[in-house]
This record gives sequence, C-alpha cells and structure tokens, in this order.
Amino acid sequence: MARSIGRRLLPLLFLAPMLLMIALAWVSPLVLTVYLGFTDLSIKNFLAFVKDFFTDKVSITLDNFRRIFYAEDPYVGETLRVTVLYVVSVLSINAIYALALSIAIAYFTKNELLSMILRVTWLLPRITPGIIYALMWIWFIDPKYGLLNEMLRLMGVPDSWLPDSWLLRKPYSQMLMIMINGYVGASFGMIVYTAAIKSIPPDLVNAALVDGASEFQVARRIIIPLLKWPILFVTAWQTLSLLSSYEYILMVWGAGSGQGYGIARSAGVMVWSLYSYTKAFAEHLYGYASALSLILVAIGLALIILYFKIFGFRRLMEPSRVEV
Amino acid sequence: MVRVTLDNVSKFFGKVKAVVDLNLEIRDGEFVALLGPSGCGKTTTLLMVAGIYKPTRGRILFDDEDVTDLPPKDRNIGMVFQSYALYPHMTVYDNIAFPLKLKKVPRQEIDRKVKEVAKLLQIDELLDRKPAQLSGGQRQRVALGRALVKEPDVLLLDEPLSNLDAKLRILMRAEIKRLQKELGITTIYVTHDQVEAMSMADKIAVMNKGRLQQYADPQTLYNKPANLFVAGFIGSPPMNLVEGNIVEENGTYYFVSSSFKYRLPSGVGELIASETSSVILGVRPEDIKIVLGDGDDNVISGTVYVVEPLGRDLLVNVKVGETLFKILAPADLKLEPGQSILLAPNEKRIHLFDRKTGRAVI
Amino acid sequence: MARESLRKRKTKALLRRAAVVAVILLVAVIPAIPIWMMYGWLVSQSFSGRVILGILPSKLTLDNWRFLWSPIKMGEKEYPNIWPITMNTLFLALGVAGLVVMVSSLSGYALSRMDFKGRTGMMQFIIALHAFPSVILLIALFVILNKLGLYGKGFMTLVGIVLIKAGLEIPMATWIIKGFFDAIPWDLEWAALVDGCSRWRVWRSVILPLVLPGIGAVSIFSFLSGWSEFLLVFTYVAQEEYYTLPVMIYHMIGEFIHIDWGMLAALGLFYAIPTIIFFSVSQKVLLRIYVGGVKG
Repeated sequence: MARSIGRRLLPLLFLAPMLLMIALAWVSPLVLTVYLGFTDLSIKNFLAFVKDFFTDKVSITLDNFRRIFYAEDPYVGETLRVTVLYVVSVLSINAIYALALSIAIAYFTKNELLSMILRVTWLLPRITPGIIYALMWIWFIDPKYGLLNEMLRLMGVPDSWLPDSWLLRKPYSQMLMIMINGYVGASFGMIVYTAAIKSIPPDLVNAALVDGASEFQVARRIIIPLLKWPILFVTAWQTLSLLSSYEYILMVWGAGSGQGYGIARSAGVMVWSLYSYTKAFAEHLYGYASALSLILVAIGLALIILYFKIFGFRRLMEPSRVEV
Repeated sequence: MVRVTLDNVSKFFGKVKAVVDLNLEIRDGEFVALLGPSGCGKTTTLLMVAGIYKPTRGRILFDDEDVTDLPPKDRNIGMVFQSYALYPHMTVYDNIAFPLKLKKVPRQEIDRKVKEVAKLLQIDELLDRKPAQLSGGQRQRVALGRALVKEPDVLLLDEPLSNLDAKLRILMRAEIKRLQKELGITTIYVTHDQVEAMSMADKIAVMNKGRLQQYADPQTLYNKPANLFVAGFIGSPPMNLVEGNIVEENGTYYFVSSSFKYRLPSGVGELIASETSSVILGVRPEDIKIVLGDGDDNVISGTVYVVEPLGRDLLVNVKVGETLFKILAPADLKLEPGQSILLAPNEKRIHLFDRKTGRAVI
Repeated sequence: MARESLRKRKTKALLRRAAVVAVILLVAVIPAIPIWMMYGWLVSQSFSGRVILGILPSKLTLDNWRFLWSPIKMGEKEYPNIWPITMNTLFLALGVAGLVVMVSSLSGYALSRMDFKGRTGMMQFIIALHAFPSVILLIALFVILNKLGLYGKGFMTLVGIVLIKAGLEIPMATWIIKGFFDAIPWDLEWAALVDGCSRWRVWRSVILPLVLPGIGAVSIFSFLSGWSEFLLVFTYVAQEEYYTLPVMIYHMIGEFIHIDWGMLAALGLFYAIPTIIFFSVSQKVLLRIYVGGVKG
C-alpha cells in the first residue's frame, strides 16, 4: 500500500519544481494580465495595489477596452496599421524568401564549401546577441559612418532617394524595421528549411532529374511540395512570435530619450506590443497596457489551439521532418 | 535505341576513387548487368550514365554523340532506383505522367500513354493511389512504368529487385527480362546478386574497387573467369581455391600445395611454368567427382567433414590436410563424416591463377 | 523523335546552369553582403582607430579595449566599471543555467519515464507554453516582482530576474531533456532495476551519465539565453551598478552625439565572446535546439 502511494507521489515530486516555476513565470502573470486588463491600475494606485491586491483604490472597469475598440485612443489605429505592415512583410520574408534562400543554399549550390559559408553567414543574425545585432545595424545605416547609403549609391540608387536618416524618415524607417527583423526571420526559416531539404532522399531529386526536370522544376515540383509542413510550421510559429516581438525595434529606436519610449512613434515603427510596453513602462498606465497585451494573449491562445488542430502534436515538435 | 560507350571513365570523390578508367561498350538493345559487391562503383557508373554525376575524366557516348556534359534532362533515359523514388505527393498516375508533363506532351497523349504503360505492367487499377498505399511489388511496377513511359533510349535499373521478397524477386526477374526483349531498349542493370545478373543479362561487367574485372557473357564469365576475383565472386557455392606451386618432376608437371599433390594435364604445366611457379588452383564444386574405393592415379585423398543436403544435390565438405573443399555430389550418395574418400577434379575444368597478379593463366 | 542538335542542347544546358547561378547570387549572396560588412566592421573597428571604407582597419590599436582596465567614459557620462557589470551578466547567465538544468532534468525524466495520469496533457501544456510568446507577460511579471518585494532592491532584483527567466526557459528545456531521456533504451533501466537498484540510484548512476550530453546542451543554451537577456534587465533594473552588459551597451548607444564606435565595437565583441565560443564548439546540438524552440 505504502509502495503504491509512493509510486503515485514520485512523479509529482519530480515535477513539483517545474510546476512551481511555471506557476511563477507563466500561469500567475497570465492570470494577472487578464485581471489587470479590466482595472485602472496606474502609477497613482500602483503602490496600494502591490501592498494589497484587493485594495479599493483599484477599480474594475471596461474603460480600457472601450478606449481600444472605439478608437478613443487616437494611436490605436496607427499602431494597428504598423503592426499589420510589420507582421505581414516580415512573415513573407520568413516563409517565402527564406524558402528561396534555403533552396539556393542547400540545393542549387553544389559546392559544399560555398554552401557552408552561406549557411553560416545566414545563421549569424539569429545567434548574435540582440544588442550587438542592433548595434551593427545602427552603425550600418548611419549616413556618415555606415555603409548602407554607400552601398546603395554603388548599386546606382540616386542620391535624392537616399534619406538623411534611416531611423527617422518614414517609409525608410519602416523599411529598416522590416529588414532588421527580416534578416533574423530569414535566418530562422533557413535553419528549418535547410534541415528539411537535407532530409529529402537524394534518389527523389535524382529521379526527377532523370525524368527530365531542370533544377528549377525540381525545386518547384519536388522540393517545395515536400516542404509543405515545414513551411506551414514556420508561418504559424512566426505569426505568433512576430505579433508579440518588439525587442529589436526597442533596441534600435527606443534608444533616445525615456525608458523605451524613444522615437519609435515618430518613426512609424510603433507596433502593438511595443505600444503596450511603452504604455506600461513609460506612461505607467499598467491597466491599459495589460488590456492591450490581453488582446495579444487572446490571439496567441487562439492560434495555439488552431495549430494543435492543424499540425497535431508530433508535427509541432519535428518541424524539419519531411514526410515521404 | 542507342549504343552506350564509356571511354576511359573515372570518377573521384575527393580522395576516394569510385571508378577508375572504365571502358565499356553496350550495344544497341543489349541487356548488360553491372555486377559487384557494394562499394565497387557500379551505382556510381550508372549515375554517370544517367548524367547525375559528371565523370572526373573520360567520355560517355550515346551512339556517336558525346553526352558527357549533358544534364540528365537531355539524355532521354529512364531509370528505376533501388528505393523506387516515387514522388510521395503525387498519385500513381501523376508519377507516371511526370516525365511526359515535363516534355510538354499534349494532355490526351499523356493520358493514352500512361494507361498503355499501366496496362502493360498491370497497375491500371492503382492509378489513383498514392505511393504510400502501395505494396513493394506495386511500387516497383510504378517505378518501372515511370521509367518506360517516356520511351527512353537507355533504361537504367539500380538494384530494382533488392527490396522485394524472394518469391516476387524471381517473378519480376523473368518479367523484366521479357519486357526488355519485347521493347528492345538498351538496358544497364546494377546488382550485387550474381544469380540475377547471370539469369537476366546478355553480358555482365564484373566490377571491384572501381575497376572493371571482366566483361563477357554469363557462360564465359562462369567457365573462363579472367581473374581470382571473378572466379570467387561468380558461382554459388563458390569455387574452391587452393594456394600452391608448380613443380616439375621427370617432365611431368604437378600442382603442389601444403596438403596435396595433383598432376596437371600435359601441355598445361609447361605453359604455366614458363610464366610463374606460384599459383592458385581453382575448381568449381561441381567439377570434382567423389570416388569411393580405388580411382585412377591422379586423385586427392581426404575425409568427409560435413554433409549439407541441398535437396537436388549434396554439398559435401571435404578436408584435405588443412584445406577444406566444397563439392557438389548427387543426392543419393551416402557419406558419413570422417569417412575417407578420393577426389577427382575434372582435368578440363580446372583453373590456375597467378598468385601475384591474380590473373588467370589458363 | 526529332532531336535538337547536340550543340544546341549543350548551349541550353549551359544557359540553365547560368540561370541557377544567377539565382544563387541574387537570393543568397548579394543580400548576405550587409551581414559580412557588419561583422567585418565590428571586428576591424574594435582594433583600429579609424576604418577605411567601413571595414578596412587602419592604425591598429588596443585603445578601444581600454574599458578592460580603466573606467568607461563616453561624452560627459561616466559608466560603471566593466568588471562588476560582467559579473552581473555572468551571475544572471549562470543562475539561469543552474536553475534550468536542476529543474528540467527532474521533470524531463518524469515525463519521459514515469507513467502518471495527465502525462499527455502536461506535455501538450508544455508545448503550448513553449509556443506562447512570453514577452507579452512583461507587465504582469513586473507587478509580481513588486509584490515579491524584489523590485528596486539592487542585487535581489537580479535574483528575481533569474527566477523569472529560468521559469520562462523551463518548459522548453524540459522538452529537450525529455528528448534525450527518450533516446535511452528502456532495457538499460530495467536491467539496473532488476539488479536491485532503487529508482533514485538508477537515476543517479545509470541514466544521468547517459543524458549528460543533453544536460550539457541545455546548460549551454540557457546560459546563452541568460547571457543575452535584455528586456527583463532593461525593464526591471533601475540602478546602473546592477546593469548587465547588453543593457549597458544599449545605454551607450543612446549617447548619439558622443558615440565612440571603436569602443562600442570592442565592447560588443567582448560581450559576444561566450556566444562565439559556445557556438563554434557545439553548433550541431544548439542548432537542433534552435530549430525546435525559437522565440523571435
């Protein structure tokens, strides 16, 4: 009898530390975000709230959502537009450009040394610590010291098209935002896709070549159809992470004045999640910021459930597996 | 249909020499098997003919056209892979139609040809299925159909039967041979199975370590192996090989090993002795007669070690000193382990190889 | 069938190959030029007083590395000495790695080997967490940190960040370690159990040595993730002396007018050293982890 209780308790014993940590870092903030979204928590009543979660200085309200959905906050619309621009363009780089890149590197490039050099190169953005990556971009786009304008001039772009500041001039700053995140995204897509391409049996490609396919036809009619699941995986995964990511934008544009507020808004790169962040940590409107986050949380949860439905458990865990 | 010529072809992968100075001519409509152990370069050779590998040196000709630099697309070949390599995302119909679609053949014609081939291979019931839903034998037929539908000049088969079970293998062996004769396509067939090669091919190219060992028709290969490797590789159970020397005594030549002495037929001895004295004697298991009681004077005496009944005949293992002979004997022969017997090799069918070079001397 | 002449076919084949090469150039090589330039600049700038054309070093000097032995000054502002900041970063990284490894090797084993009610559900939960973007939770975590009394408490704030960061990493780490446990054949464990070991001893003396590579991978991975952590420290740490390297670099970049590219490049390189080392040593395993578990 004692043994069987022990047997039942043992897994719990092993899992307890993990559950505790998950409760601290995931579950309680998740619940708290939901709660805070319906409050008017701000710098004014924050200390009272920290002392006592049920203080009457914090009132429960739907105001936050009214401000968001009835466009009482004039910036919500613009933020939404920037977010859509950001997610859609970076996502296409992630899923489509990275696919072309991977086929070029892992299939078209027959020279193994060159293939390896390219792979390592395209890996760098992803594995470099974010702040160094941001630092290099800030240098690269600097009109005086950097090389971007120089490079574009060499490629024949007329001077009048080049901005005096990539950080501040509007369409350019948004292009920059897409490039900075796009390189990292391409890097991620490439890791998944090249692994998947390498796992396609060489005989399949050879068979297509013998059947009379050119290299392009092999790519279009054999490789891409076989990468169906990896492509879906990258798209799904990146949609979720792009919706909430703002770290690079904060590092590049937030640098300026104030905690993270920076010049993101005037540069037109204020995405939804960054907006929520600045509302919380620059304006100290914790309740409103949580409401903004809560919308992302809801989208995130809905997407995760959807992905479980589409992919099933196994495919979600082995993104690079090609089903033959 | 075309004649395929490999002219001094070599293929190196870095330091690894996969194929070295291969010369081979496959005549129009001929069925040639490339035979050898795994890693002998036979698949590499096939992939060079297909155009997937480019030879490091040498030329490949289809008729008189140098196709060495042409990609597979421009060679009009059909190929069946060991893994069949059916496209998993396409139905059987689309798999077979794929080569035609790439050639931009009109739709109706594609349809007609696919159905024709499917009928020929008896897979017309399966056209809507995906490869994953097929059995091994069915996949094999689909792969064959895909290779044949474009009416190739050359058909390349890479171990097409190795993934089938034994019974199906024997069935398909006959069928592929019949199909090849019927369509008259120049065919190169890669295999490591000598029975397959012997039973199907018009000519066999035996390869080892990237080099061609012998290129001949099956009978010649069996009766006149050009060297030790071919002798040992072809035939099952394999040829008995014994190291020894040629010794002359009073004008008669003997083969002398550590455990026995055997008189060579007149004329043969002189011929060999003029080249070398250290040789290897080879006799096939069916070319040794077991003599009970007294035989003529040129016999070898040994004791029965173990007897393996094979049904049609007996495989008798005989110890002669330290040497073990394998001998095929009639099934009705009664033998006991330990029994003393005499062995009489067929004088006309013994082989002698130079021990240094491995080449056959007679 | 009528055939094109051999020469025509050869020309066509050459043209097709040329098109393929053009695609490689256009898609993979030319867009990679900025990457090469940036890294080239980082290295050459850190060792030279002036760079020509952005990437060619001239006037080789170690002056940019002076932060290693003297206080950092940029413009009017003086920054804290580099070594305490490095120690903070190291503390954060080691703390996260240690905590993650301890917790996730226990839970990874349980999920791989023990049979209990709700096991599948828990695995799905872990995958879901792993997919969920944790940055959204920053605000609520800030409240929790305050509630725990760890905000604005100097070193204790860093401890709080270690706890949070480790908690965020644990679902993925658990999953990875579970994968390594899964790869160990069951017979081995049974054999040991039959030999009379207790389950605990089996774990310590039979299984653990076999999953050490997995544990190594997870430690490196969580060390790097703690080492590069930016947002949590940036948001929750107010006192300069408890900054970590990335946050200090961030604030130095902020000095637009007095920006000292040479020193920033050197500092950046200094900060990247662990990443470079770990990646060149164990890139295969790390890549596998990156594929499965990326937050971007």
